[in-house]
Amino acid sequence: MEEKNSQDLTERIWRAFSSMKLGLALLGIIALVSGIGTVVPQMEQSPEKAEQVSKIWQTMGFTHLYSTVWFRLLLGLLCINLIVCSLQRLKGIYLRTFKPKAPTTLAQVPQKIRFAVKGESAQLQNSVQEVLKQKGFHSTISNQSEQWGFIAIKRRLGNWGSFITHLSFVVLVIGALVGSLLGFKGYFMEAAGNTIPIQKIELSKGKVTETFSVRINSAEDRFLPSGERDNWYTDMSIMQNGQEVARKTLSVNDPFKYQGITFYQASFANGSSFTVDLKGQKIPVALRDQGQSYFQAPGTDLYLVTAIKSSGQNPEVLYQIYKGTEEKPVQTGQLTKGQTVDVQGTYKLTLNGLAGFTGLQVKKDPGVALIWLGCGLLLGGLILAFYWQPVVFSGIIQAENGTQGTLTVGALSGKMSASTHDALENFVNSVSDLIK
Amino acid sequence: MLENLETVMFYGLVMACTLSLLLYLTWLGTKKDVIGRLATYLTIIALLASTAAIILRMITSGHPPLSNGYEFLLTFVAGILAVYLFAEYRYKLRALGAFVMPIPFLLLMFIIMSMGPEERIAQAVPPALKSQWLTFHVVTAMFAYGAFAVSFGLGIMYLMKLSKEGTQKKSNSQGIVSHFPALEKLDELAYKVVGFAFPLLTLCIITGAIWANYAWGTYWSWDPKETWSLITWIIYAAYLHARLMYGWKGKRAAWMAIFGFAAVLFTFFGVNYFLAGLHSYAS
Repeated sequence: MEEKNSQDLTERIWRAFSSMKLGLALLGIIALVSGIGTVVPQMEQSPEKAEQVSKIWQTMGFTHLYSTVWFRLLLGLLCINLIVCSLQRLKGIYLRTFKPKAPTTLAQVPQKIRFAVKGESAQLQNSVQEVLKQKGFHSTISNQSEQWGFIAIKRRLGNWGSFITHLSFVVLVIGALVGSLLGFKGYFMEAAGNTIPIQKIELSKGKVTETFSVRINSAEDRFLPSGERDNWYTDMSIMQNGQEVARKTLSVNDPFKYQGITFYQASFANGSSFTVDLKGQKIPVALRDQGQSYFQAPGTDLYLVTAIKSSGQNPEVLYQIYKGTEEKPVQTGQLTKGQTVDVQGTYKLTLNGLAGFTGLQVKKDPGVALIWLGCGLLLGGLILAFYWQPVVFSGIIQAENGTQGTLTVGALSGKMSASTHDALENFVNSVSDLIK
Repeated sequence: MLENLETVMFYGLVMACTLSLLLYLTWLGTKKDVIGRLATYLTIIALLASTAAIILRMITSGHPPLSNGYEFLLTFVAGILAVYLFAEYRYKLRALGAFVMPIPFLLLMFIIMSMGPEERIAQAVPPALKSQWLTFHVVTAMFAYGAFAVSFGLGIMYLMKLSKEGTQKKSNSQGIVSHFPALEKLDELAYKVVGFAFPLLTLCIITGAIWANYAWGTYWSWDPKETWSLITWIIYAAYLHARLMYGWKGKRAAWMAIFGFAAVLFTFFGVNYFLAGLHSYAS
């Protein structure tokens, strides 16, 4: 009894998921929810605005909608629905494509679009076969004593279009899942000349297991002769145990890939590079323009910020020294390239020149190959479904008084009844021409 | 010099478009063959003028005409004209002109009224836009959106004919709708056009994803424009499913074609003007 109940339940669940109504409802809900996410500010795009949204909505996930559990649940349900629907249709598609059954009774010939031709049975048979061959159909014939039937199909791979399209979604979702489970996403900004271990970058997603370092050889903001910005260029090396193992100059739209990790040029900032001489110990320091980064000399409470006054051949840089939490700087001044200044009797500061800071997006996404596969399947499936639609004609010749007979042919109206009608009419005309 | 020629082409396009719209409307009322043919010729001239304007812009700026809203709209107009002319020629459907041509006309009026000369000049492209994928992305969008505009026109025609004639097969009605093709034909044509455009819209989204992955390292970031293109895609996907599985033809399908095109317009305009995001440079 219990077993029967559980069987009922599985069957009920299966049936619920195999309904296209559920699929369409899910699509509708996903569209609606996605739309809401474009109106409510999202953490990913505008965190300041998103934080102003009332707490209840934030807790419910409306400010990070696309990464909430319930949005993913919706996508998951759609995926299950697509798998169940596809599996249910698999056998039918296979039979229709590769094992079509010729009609054995008149009732099996499609009725909506139908034509009839009278003539001598044997001749009719021959001309039908002849015309089908000419027009490139694959045909199956059933031959019984009184009746001769055929079913013919052209562009039969088109039958698979919808199946492939639907499954491509599952591939896309798996690709996205693989990416978010096994990949990472991060960012760092470094000045030319510096080296940063890959483990030290700011991560927004995932974990880094790799151990190499990245050295920025140069970072440039290049302009075209017309004054327009050409691009940002970063010459970077991958360092393993102090050895350079790979090197490339990357720019926006021209990323660099190493061991599955991709570096994208994302932003650029100006800055200057200094040498700090702290009791004989030389420390290289690079600071971003306009005080966007600072230097605290080790063992002191002196903070250094800088701003570029003039660039070009002989750059000049303004500097300020702050002590502890005091609001006013304790020392300010200006440095030219190569000039050294004494800072509060604690260390010596020398300006080496200007230095570009490159901002690189770092990403590892092992799912991306699956994403492209899914995209390919999606597009291929759609092309098959819409630009390669199968044509199916079937018919039967019924004998009437001896050698004479009537050929009745029909076509399933499919997606486009008017053009199917024209194609069948054309076919019938060719057959009649041949028997004349 | 070339800039001036481009301006001439733009205003030539505006004039040809306006006149052809008026002629298509007159033709619907009078059914005079000369007028109809003139309307078609003017549409061809409009297409040539928009193509010339786009090519001149490419020569003067040195990059595909995709650096600002003006250039995008010009491409959109060219796409609508191209798909429309194809549909008119292929299906001998001149009546469609009166329902499709208002769209490029309104888009051009929008340019004239809302964009000053400084907004129309060629601008420098930021590094992120320097990609071959961008060209491909916009060309697919141009034809897909053009075709959706045509299906919108067909939907309107269907609904007009339906309200005048009712569902009975006799087409003894008078007035402009008597020049329209049979209801069933209009319906099937709209479906064909959507079926042509849907894979293109898909390709447009995919090329956008590939490009974004090159430029920013994410193939999908749920930015408002992406999301709205997905919503448009879902609406048309629903249209196709409802038709195949539930036999949603005729009236409901016509409404969905209209609704779908509204989503296209929102993706194109609404997102640029009401919602900000990665695509904000397009406004």
